[in-house]
Amino acid sequence: MVKKHIKHVKQKNDIGGKVFKTVNTAFLLFLCAVTIYPLFYIIVYSLNEGLDSMKGGLYLWPRVFTWFNYQYVFGNGVIKHSYLVTIARAVLGTLFGLLVTGLTAYGFSLKQLPYRKGLMLIALIPMLFSGGIIPYYIQLSRLHLVDTFWVYVIPCMFSVWNMFVMMKFFMGLPEELRESAYIDGAGDLRIFLKIILPLSKPVIAAIGLFIAVWQWNDWYSGAFYVSKASLLPLQTYLQRLFNANSLSMLTQNSQIVAEAAAHESQTATMTITSVKMAAVVIGTLPILCVYPFIQKYFVKGMLIGSVKG
Amino acid sequence: MKTFIKNIKRYHWYYIMILCGITCLILFSYIPMAGLQIAFRNFKPGNTIWNAKWVGLKNFWFLKDTEFWRIVKNTFVLTGARFVVSFPAPIILALLINEISNTAFKRIVQSITYIPHFISWIVVAYILDSFLSPYGGIINQLIEKLGGEAVFFMGSNNWFVPIVTISSVWKDVGWGTIIYLAAITSIDPELYEAAMLDGAGRFAKVKHITFPSIRPTIVLLLILSMPNLINAGIDSIYPLMNNANLEVSTVIDTYVLSNGLQLGKYSLATAIGMMSSMVSLLLILLTNKIANKVSGEGLW
Repeated sequence: MVKKHIKHVKQKNDIGGKVFKTVNTAFLLFLCAVTIYPLFYIIVYSLNEGLDSMKGGLYLWPRVFTWFNYQYVFGNGVIKHSYLVTIARAVLGTLFGLLVTGLTAYGFSLKQLPYRKGLMLIALIPMLFSGGIIPYYIQLSRLHLVDTFWVYVIPCMFSVWNMFVMMKFFMGLPEELRESAYIDGAGDLRIFLKIILPLSKPVIAAIGLFIAVWQWNDWYSGAFYVSKASLLPLQTYLQRLFNANSLSMLTQNSQIVAEAAAHESQTATMTITSVKMAAVVIGTLPILCVYPFIQKYFVKGMLIGSVKG
Repeated sequence: MKTFIKNIKRYHWYYIMILCGITCLILFSYIPMAGLQIAFRNFKPGNTIWNAKWVGLKNFWFLKDTEFWRIVKNTFVLTGARFVVSFPAPIILALLINEISNTAFKRIVQSITYIPHFISWIVVAYILDSFLSPYGGIINQLIEKLGGEAVFFMGSNNWFVPIVTISSVWKDVGWGTIIYLAAITSIDPELYEAAMLDGAGRFAKVKHITFPSIRPTIVLLLILSMPNLINAGIDSIYPLMNNANLEVSTVIDTYVLSNGLQLGKYSLATAIGMMSSMVSLLLILLTNKIANKVSGEGLW
């Protein structure tokens, strides 16, 4: 009787299970499609002739294929320059960020360090309370960082959140490493540089990538702390371009006008939207290209940081 | 005192290292906190935060301003809607991903849904525009094909909140599953086996084992997400703002920004910012206290 009942339940579950599995798979496939399609669509749009795209009906593949939108964007001196600014801040921001955050994290990773709790409290309070953007801006301008390149790098050198991730990683390394090296007469700095750092490549990679992506995608500092056109990063340039509704806003320098005239037949088929899409793709593609290779580091970094304690 | 000097001497490298970070915090977090005093002063360009004239509570006149309360309402409508949808979404998605038995498919789903997290908000705005534009946006093309009339989504007061909510789910639902999936993976498989012997079905297992096991993670993230209820986030809102939707899209964050940095009313903007910082702190402390009372799972 009991046996029969269990069998009955199992059978019922199997049918229900199969239905659930099918529905679940279908839903997740749909979700993947919804996630990826918008990105795919901007690529398609950027590779299609602008005037043709205006007609509508462009969904899965470029209809009138052209590289011209890209040629136009790459011919634009302002965009090229903003690209360089973004690369520079991503590189320098990551280096300085890793240096300051990593050193602090290592300092905090020694559990028996006297006064560690008090110092930790100093690091924790800003996570709960902040002065807000205006006093922050006043401080930036008092330090003469406003309207300089370094406003992208120096204020972002230390992140409490990243510091915790790195600290957890250092604390997870065997304590004996440090102790035995110390007994052998190695100084604290030497231990850090020669023993700990070589073992910490995964966490350095993870945090470095977090910082680099943040630097790449940050449009905010460029929009509010900087007014010099020569310091605009790519994402801030894209933000300004977003509200542009005619091509003339793009062609501010004469070199581009000349170039555009030379390609006049092609320029005629181009629209502001198609050029915008090309610019957006150029701003996103580097991240999408490296993403498959670095994904595991991101996930690792996220997981080290999420362990409570 | 003697032990103090001895400690400093023995561990000086550690202190120097910690000082690197603390110096940054003093410069970019603590001095701005001290800068909050200009909420009670009349700060003019050229002043420092220490020498502007004291004016008492004069800058807090905004508390009697109906315009300000309308913006507070905007903020909570927006963040409330966003929270209700985007907080549970990653939990549900993690549970669904966990039910996949094919590891390759599981990895593919994870990799794809993480991608939007790495896309900037500006690019998200471009994507939204290309889909929702009344001039040839995909959604409007479909609407017109079905015989409807094109809708100017980006310039509509009714659509602003749904657009922000959907885009924030699109961007971060996948990334949000990472922590939950890790918590689910660490559950002892014996628990499931025991439940199966007791005749528990798929949903009973989720309800009685998976969910209680990830509850501490949920509580932790709930507490950490509290500040988002008052900070709508300039990063994600500002690119979507335009003259047509200003009535609903102005939130506290953008109000502070435009008053302070664009109109130069530093003291007023600081006063508003200070109120929102304090509410954010209160929300965290309160949620933590409730979490401790209810289940003992608070952060501290």
